[in-house]
Amino acid sequence: MKREKRNHSGQAYSLTVMTPILEDHVSALAAHLDALGPADASPLARVPGTHFARWVILDDVVYEGGRQRRDALKASRLLFTSNFDGPLDVYLEALRTELGEDADAVWSHCAGYPGRADAPAFAAYFRNHQLESALFFAAYGDQTVAQVQANVAQRTRLIEFAMAAQGLEPAELQARFQAAFPR
Amino acid sequence: MANVEGKATAITVVTPVRHGGRFLLAIVFWVGRHVTSTLVKLHQLSFIHYARWAVIRRFPDGGKGERLGHTYLFFESNFNGTWDQYIDAFSEVVPARMKGIWGTSYGFPGPIPVEPFKAYIRQNEFVANHYWSAYPASTTTEIISAQRIAAALEDFRGRSANLDPEAFATAYRALLTDVQRDL
Repeated sequence: MKREKRNHSGQAYSLTVMTPILEDHVSALAAHLDALGPADASPLARVPGTHFARWVILDDVVYEGGRQRRDALKASRLLFTSNFDGPLDVYLEALRTELGEDADAVWSHCAGYPGRADAPAFAAYFRNHQLESALFFAAYGDQTVAQVQANVAQRTRLIEFAMAAQGLEPAELQARFQAAFPR
Repeated sequence: MANVEGKATAITVVTPVRHGGRFLLAIVFWVGRHVTSTLVKLHQLSFIHYARWAVIRRFPDGGKGERLGHTYLFFESNFNGTWDQYIDAFSEVVPARMKGIWGTSYGFPGPIPVEPFKAYIRQNEFVANHYWSAYPASTTTEIISAQRIAAALEDFRGRSANLDPEAFATAYRALLTDVQRDL
């Protein structure tokens, strides 16, 4: 599908999913999401290839006043967005298998969620609630999570090496460099 | 509530679009996708990891979608630095583009002066219930620097492998000079 390209930048993919929250479930879902662990304790830490992701409850649209007609959503929406290493079908399967119980604990508050046991239905649910990006910007869309982390580690090692290697004789410098950065 | 994860900050904004505005948006985003200057400008801002816009004509509901009285514009960004610095930079560096995009939304006061612009974004912002970053300690600039360093190191290891210690030391110093701004 041609427009699918709009979700891509390099190998990076922008996924935007909005699912209707079941009536009377907004508070419970908010409490659940707010209580998820930060950093590596986040369930999203288990989904490979995720650079940045978020869950946001959209209780209703904002009314600006003035000439805007007042709108109201029939159901609040759960927004899930992710910036990840494509392709989408592999990622949706990773959400299902790696989030596991956490996927059910979140999306079972949403209308029509089929549960994680049925893989095709799980993927279809996300695709049926997906919004296409109109414009997607990625500062380093050519780099996977693993590449970013490896490069950052290399940079840190070079900084540490350069500090430690000041004033070394050439032969010692060469030996230590080759030990620190083996080919 | 969690808009911050390490050095990364999330912003999520949904604004109502004026009648007829979606046609302008279609043009603005077409230009954004096909004329690289918009994305180049975002690169120059140098603290945005990933950002996206989406036009919501129907809020996904698993069927045809829920249509409200207006089209809505969705924006998310993942950036390093504070919220205030981010909006300041948008206002100072890319005011015309901000006007092109949010000028179609009800209530948009314009990107300059910055205080009403900030108030507008605050009013239309949704705070994330859960936010995840794979590398919360790294800024966009550090990641792009690390990519250059990794490439320079790879090249250096290849061409320095068979040098004698004196020539190695000279080449090593040249490497540090080359990558100095990325350290």
